[in-house]
Amino acid sequence: MRLAVTALAAALAVLSVAACSSSGGGSSPPSTLVVGEFNPFTGPDAAFGPEMVGGCIPAIRLINANGGVLGHQMSCVQEDTRGDPADAVPAAQKMMATETSLVGVLGPSSDEALATVPLLNTGHVPMFVDTGQAAFDHSTYNYFWRITPADDVKGYAMALWAHAAGYTRAAAVFGNDAGAQSDVPTLVGAFTKLGGTIVYNKPFALDQSSYRSEVESILATHPQVIFTEVDPQTGATFLSELQQLHGLLPVIGTEVSLQAPWLKAVNGAIGAGSMAKYFEGMQPYAPTSGPAWQTYNKALLASKSQVPQPGQWSSDPYSMTYYDAVNVMALAMLAAHSTNPAVFDKDVMAVTEPGSGKTVVTSFAAGKAALAAGKQIQYLGAGGPIVFNQWHNSTGAFEAAKYVSGNVDLVGSVSAAQIAALNR
Amino acid sequence: MNTIVPAIGFGIVTASILAVAGVGFTLQFGVTNILNLAYGDIMTAAAFVAYLVTRAGLSVWLALVAGAAFGSMFSVLLNRCIYTPFVRRGTRLFAMIIVTIAVSLMVQNGLLAIFGANFFSLKMPRPASVHFAGMVFTTVQLVIIAIAVAAMLLIHLLLRYTKLGKAMRATAADPDLARNCGIATDRVIDLAWAISGALCGLAGVILVMNVTAFTDTTGSQFLIPIVAVAVLGGIGQPYGAMLGALVIGITSEVAAAIFNPEYKDVVAFVILVIVLLARPQGILSEVATRKEVAA
Repeated sequence: MRLAVTALAAALAVLSVAACSSSGGGSSPPSTLVVGEFNPFTGPDAAFGPEMVGGCIPAIRLINANGGVLGHQMSCVQEDTRGDPADAVPAAQKMMATETSLVGVLGPSSDEALATVPLLNTGHVPMFVDTGQAAFDHSTYNYFWRITPADDVKGYAMALWAHAAGYTRAAAVFGNDAGAQSDVPTLVGAFTKLGGTIVYNKPFALDQSSYRSEVESILATHPQVIFTEVDPQTGATFLSELQQLHGLLPVIGTEVSLQAPWLKAVNGAIGAGSMAKYFEGMQPYAPTSGPAWQTYNKALLASKSQVPQPGQWSSDPYSMTYYDAVNVMALAMLAAHSTNPAVFDKDVMAVTEPGSGKTVVTSFAAGKAALAAGKQIQYLGAGGPIVFNQWHNSTGAFEAAKYVSGNVDLVGSVSAAQIAALNR
Repeated sequence: MNTIVPAIGFGIVTASILAVAGVGFTLQFGVTNILNLAYGDIMTAAAFVAYLVTRAGLSVWLALVAGAAFGSMFSVLLNRCIYTPFVRRGTRLFAMIIVTIAVSLMVQNGLLAIFGANFFSLKMPRPASVHFAGMVFTTVQLVIIAIAVAAMLLIHLLLRYTKLGKAMRATAADPDLARNCGIATDRVIDLAWAISGALCGLAGVILVMNVTAFTDTTGSQFLIPIVAVAVLGGIGQPYGAMLGALVIGITSEVAAAIFNPEYKDVVAFVILVIVLLARPQGILSEVATRKEVAA
């Protein structure tokens, strides 16, 4: 028995030495750098994960096709958070413990961000989050980066758009749910800062049989425009009753009001003519044109084997920003000459911020070539320019759209610089 | 003050919808002793029937009739095919509530499967506004008020002056005694389901005429105020439900006008709680105290 144990110990020792020499040997191929897709792939928000795959895979495809990063190939690895902090925290710990070549993650989402952002930051893992929570508006986490606009940023965009149209008196009609209410403080603050007055601001109980009393109260305050985020049924009832009692006023909605169910419900309630005349919605600017988007879309459509129905993500602003995030990480590694996150994290800002004399690039290949030529670069993404503030938030631009003859038509935009100026 | 008078007018409209729905709900419970929590979903199903009728190019009046007819037939079949077998097996009130919740989920998901997760509107002429005594109504709302008044009047005549009404009241008060007195209680219960189902269907259609856009959950979202109306009036009491509808409809609208609209339901329910503290059996009650629900 003692002999068997000794033999086993000796065998393990030999194997250990072999393993050590293998991992430390100079002749072994460079490891594949891993980008974690840290989002729900199962559970109620299981739709988030595939959206992330639609951005990560095309980026990796192009990076690897262009020689990879510092001799390393890259790959996307799904890390399912199940949309629950209780599952996400152990998933993050496991990912950091087992993925030795982890260079960053896409995510976390709002479901698990509060619990996992500190953890990832402590682990020196750069994260390109998709959470919109206002809690991160003034984030001091070094490894936290947010390309998608925060939920409350749309308040700035709505205020700027209304101000540009010359409105000075506005009513805020937002549902009493947490999501809608998170828009209100920035909207009120920004509109007031721009010289306007919010004359009515009371949360609405959703899905009531009537909002006529609310309509009367609003009309008594004489607003010129109505800002809104309510669910489709509430929007339809409220606006049709406003139309019946007084006639419609101009309405500026959030991106919720540019989604198909809202448009259908309200269009049916107030009529297509009124909809086209009075309604505008604001949504994050995601152009489906330009060289960056064309590169993204071509790579996406070519990734059919790894991305089911890739065309569904062609105009998805979140997929575009995940694609951009992977490119930014790869270019930051090249700029820092290191795949160590603790080293290249600071270069995320360097490869995205605008500056005089910088070369503007719209793809990883162009960025890699420019950096190799000793130039400084500004990466312009498929989702538009990325301008991080001191809290590592890039608010992005917003576009205004109308609903005309069954189509969402863009009518203008609010730039990221305008929003950033108001957000100071 | 400027907003209170119109709010009372709007409250009358809300009360009209609540009255039609609440009377049907409480009548159903009063006669059958089943607290049918699928009621809101049957309202929605009737609204979808009305939607199909208007989509076919027929008038909204016909849609009202179709919705009521559907509600009536569906309720009778629901009772015969699902609820009665459970009752015959001696299923108690609480277990029956669970059965009705199951039916509610089945109806709601059935509608979702058929029509999809989308919003729909009845095709009807755009209403004109009518000003009356400081209040503003649309022609659609005047129609809703008229329908509610007519329905309440018919229910009153039915319960007070017809043999069927007396039989229904007798069955509601004591089904065993009613049966022993020669009343065909099974038939009375069928008719109670048919009449309350018609009111349910009618309520579904007038609700979506008022809210203008509806989906598979619209009726179920309206169930809580309906139950509140029934409880406030004294469950099983049609006249109590009419009164309860007026109280809840008007107070919620006035509250929205003078306080915060977020709390319009809260104000109505505070009144409900205060009334029930003073009169646990509801405003009007003969039956409620004898029913299992009070236990």
